[in-house]
Amino acid sequence: MNINRLIALSKSVQFGKILTSNARHATKEVNLPHRTIRTHARNLAYAKDLFLGKVNKAECFPYPEIGNEELEEINSFVAPVEKFFTEEVDSKRIDHEAKIPPETLNGLKELGLFGIQVPEEYGGLGLSNTMYARLGEIISLDGSIAVTLAAHQAIGLKGILIAGSEEQKAKYLPKLASGEHVAAFCLTEPGSGSDAASIQTKATLSEDRKTYLLNGSKIWISNGGFADLMTVFARTEVVGEDGVKKDKITAFIVERAFGGITSGKPEDKLGIRGSNTCEVSFDNCPVPVENVIGEVGGGFKVAMNILNSGRFSMGSAGSGMIKKLIEMTAEYAGSRKQFGKNLSEFGMIQEKFAVMAQNAFVMESMAYLTAGMMDRPGVPDCSLEAAMVKVSDLLPIGCLIVVCVVVSKLNDGIGVLIGYAVVGEQGVQERTKHTPLRCPSVEDQRGGCVVAYPTPTLTNVFSSEGGWICVSEALQVLGGLGYTKNYPYERYLRDCRILLIFEGTNEILRMYIALTGMQYAGKILTGKIKEMKKGNVGVAFEMLGRKLGDALGRKVDLGLTGMDGVVHPGLADSAKKLEQNVAHFGSTVENLLYRYGKTIVEEQLILKRVADVLINLYAMTAVLSRSSRSISIGLRNHDHEVLLANTFCTDAFFKNNYWLTQLQRNSPENQDENIKKIAREVLEKRTYVCSHPLDRTF
Amino acid sequence: MLSVWFASGLFLRVLSPFEVLTMHTKKSQGDQGALRRFHGSPGCYKSQPVPTDPGEEHEDRIKKDKSLITHDDLFERVAREAKTKATFNRVVDVFSKRDIRRRGHVEFIYAALKKMPEFGVERDLTVYNKLLDVFPKEVFVPRNFIQRMFNHYPRQQECGVQLLEQMENYGIMPNVESKVLIVQIFGDKSHPMRKYQRIMYWFPKFKHANPFPVPLQLPEDPVDLARLSLNRIANDLDAKVTVYQMPCTDISESGEEITFPHVVGIQSPDQMELLAKHNPNRPVFVEGPFPLWLRKICVYYYILRADPLPPEEKVEDSYDPERCFDYPLQLDLDLDRDMGDDDSFDVEDVDEGPVFAMCMTSQGDQATLNQWISGLQETNPTLGRVPTLFRLEAGPRELQGVADPGPGYREEGEEEAETDIVVEEEHQRSQGVKQ
Repeated sequence: MNINRLIALSKSVQFGKILTSNARHATKEVNLPHRTIRTHARNLAYAKDLFLGKVNKAECFPYPEIGNEELEEINSFVAPVEKFFTEEVDSKRIDHEAKIPPETLNGLKELGLFGIQVPEEYGGLGLSNTMYARLGEIISLDGSIAVTLAAHQAIGLKGILIAGSEEQKAKYLPKLASGEHVAAFCLTEPGSGSDAASIQTKATLSEDRKTYLLNGSKIWISNGGFADLMTVFARTEVVGEDGVKKDKITAFIVERAFGGITSGKPEDKLGIRGSNTCEVSFDNCPVPVENVIGEVGGGFKVAMNILNSGRFSMGSAGSGMIKKLIEMTAEYAGSRKQFGKNLSEFGMIQEKFAVMAQNAFVMESMAYLTAGMMDRPGVPDCSLEAAMVKVSDLLPIGCLIVVCVVVSKLNDGIGVLIGYAVVGEQGVQERTKHTPLRCPSVEDQRGGCVVAYPTPTLTNVFSSEGGWICVSEALQVLGGLGYTKNYPYERYLRDCRILLIFEGTNEILRMYIALTGMQYAGKILTGKIKEMKKGNVGVAFEMLGRKLGDALGRKVDLGLTGMDGVVHPGLADSAKKLEQNVAHFGSTVENLLYRYGKTIVEEQLILKRVADVLINLYAMTAVLSRSSRSISIGLRNHDHEVLLANTFCTDAFFKNNYWLTQLQRNSPENQDENIKKIAREVLEKRTYVCSHPLDRTF
Repeated sequence: MLSVWFASGLFLRVLSPFEVLTMHTKKSQGDQGALRRFHGSPGCYKSQPVPTDPGEEHEDRIKKDKSLITHDDLFERVAREAKTKATFNRVVDVFSKRDIRRRGHVEFIYAALKKMPEFGVERDLTVYNKLLDVFPKEVFVPRNFIQRMFNHYPRQQECGVQLLEQMENYGIMPNVESKVLIVQIFGDKSHPMRKYQRIMYWFPKFKHANPFPVPLQLPEDPVDLARLSLNRIANDLDAKVTVYQMPCTDISESGEEITFPHVVGIQSPDQMELLAKHNPNRPVFVEGPFPLWLRKICVYYYILRADPLPPEEKVEDSYDPERCFDYPLQLDLDLDRDMGDDDSFDVEDVDEGPVFAMCMTSQGDQATLNQWISGLQETNPTLGRVPTLFRLEAGPRELQGVADPGPGYREEGEEEAETDIVVEEEHQRSQGVKQ
């Protein structure tokens, strides 16, 4: 049973009520109830529901599977790629020479790896997210190649793919997919990465209104040295609705052949040295008007969509690398002797392998769960029927009500906004647009529309940090040897450090994760919290009762186990832990909203914990779902999976409990005030404040 | 032996320390007679403040002449020659060597304490230790419980305490040598020892209590001093000091000597940003001089400021939803922070105008300050379009006690406000001008 759909239905009933109560003006829109516009209700709202203390089990259980044909297809893709990477790619040389040799690049092009997600009609492989994730595992064995490919297709050509017109697609995608042209994504400018205000590159329309002249420079552009095609974001003058001229960001497809483009010297980086990163400057570069992606002035949304969808590309990268590392390191630990014992017999070494295996397992589970959710076929019938996601009770009555309809094509987590209805005092106006939009942005614009949630981001944060820990542990097993260039560990360590930084630093991603969820939960809980603040006895008693229940150790049952359970009984304990955490998380979120309201944006330390708990909850769900499936269908070594899942869930359970305790009011575990004060004093002086321990006063 | 001691004591008593000293210095001396060597009660010396005013000092001397104290004279005589640490030490040596019993040492120490600032040794720990060394050792250490119970040798102990008190007042921390001396002189449970212990308890604690310490030695160079002072006022690590003009003297064609005052300014990037945003139709003001005290020196600074924005011109930075690519910068919620979690204080903000830059100069006339403004223009092009008004006051005048028309606005070309860095210098110069 689909809970979302239920909610949506119940709300649509309410909606009807509101409309009839406002019937004075709304007499003309009688046809609205018939026109139940359907959204893809099962869209990626799982993580968001966690904010409300709910588990939307239909979303994540059972673990997504692919058909046998597809599996064969993947394997047929994977085998040659794996062969290529083990035999032809010399990562050491790439790292040393800071350049990917042309023959390697040609090999990648022949394998079609430059157009993994480009639809087949444009000459790409047209692979699903799941397949992409599988290939990503192998591609990530060389960080430089992975980044080069990601810059090309995860962000570089994504703009054309998701927001480009048919002509643009037909013109550019075939050459990009074949690798004849390499793409780059030019957004960042000196200033800061996430701040749109820092974009100073200007695009001025020529007199004949046929070309834009681009002026400015972009920094840290991956593939910037040799890219033939770039997605460039620049400010253009747009006349707003109120007739005031405004500078807004617009996305352009810029060919190097247009002229006026110069690339700087490649940056000398810590890791991923083989990838090309440099500054790109535009000096009166002429760009034809038809090369604008989307609308003029609509570049912000395009950039946001590209960035959001691009994040998925790194989801499975970590697990691929760790699996490889485990093999290499275990070999060493099994053969190296110390005090007459193998290294593998020492407890502290064993722990490292457990950590690595557990991390790889969790990352893998999260990556493929996310990919599967994104690949899940959308609503069978894309016509305008089905449930409606509605926001009426979240907006003041009488004001403009906007109903968003998002039918997820979900090819890359991008929904296609196929229509929206505006319900106003004049009745219903229905409009249709075919602007592909990433779901969160739809929500941002329309306020309160329940749409997709960035599960890829959750995976991304977990994998990048887990990856860093694991590589570091693997290096540690080898001790001094790992630190030398004779072994690849130091290279892996350097390479994987970038995962925490690019495509939004993990700090930024945490803000995104926490705030998106808070916004969603806030919309739903505002009414209740307001009642509570007003002193509504009923609501207060309900709260009190629930708290009392929690205190008395009432068992939380969210339906993961038991009669309609979706988790295998062998994992029931872990599932209970997850349920308990979810319930606790829900009440904590409510409490935080009560305490901070919209000012929670300022409380970054709180948001960080909220994001961390959510990541853990999602990870727990992923491992539970995956290992339940493994037991049920009897996969090889499923008992090992169960062991890993139980270990991880217990570990995460206690961590979550600790973080949630810290989030309570006046919690002694919470050191935030002190942390802030320390930082403030250090930053005020911009130096380490303490006196030297050898200093004296007399 | 005893008789020898006695005899030598007698002999020494006949010779005044002053005479001993003159034997060294081979200078003709006045008519101070042996009669003056008689020691009276030193009670009146207790905790006398260090005289600062010459007139007061003169009165003091008269009083002393009437009394029977002579140690002052000892220092007075030497002072005629040179007031240095060496001569001070010599006086102490002379006294110490004169009499094995150190007769009159309490009076001597009181006199010496009083004279220390004159000789410029009031911050010299070795001199204090030397003075402590004047006390005879072991004589005042209590030997039994009764002595310990009562105030043993109160006058001597009090003198010791007084010495430590003076050290304390000048911020001099005793060292181990002082401690050893005190133990030798008064014993380890005496009042001076307690005083020592208290000093040693508090001084280290207070030593770094000031978060904005002023260096003990202020720079002599007015430009360096201005740099230091401006950095102190600005309290912004990003602020940049610019020397718009180095002090120099030049001889003009007509042979006159022209001195160019130094002009040193400071401005932070934030201030530049504020100035860039300033509405060019509204004037900015150069105001000053304002005093800033650094230890015993007073310096003056000028500020460039504007009036606070009138409420109707204030532009609230509106929330731009298309600002951040990665996460919403604001939540679209109708919930405010709960009162229980609102830790902010209710502070009534007085709306003050922005200060755009500060400067210091030795000559606060409008011509000089104009140089500063034109220097600022190079980095702040907006200043060229903004009307600049000078509202200068005659600040430092008031401090000199010279008849002053009082603070008020001055017009262009009028007599400039004297703004010397050091008050004393200012004093001298204005006298010179009068002459």
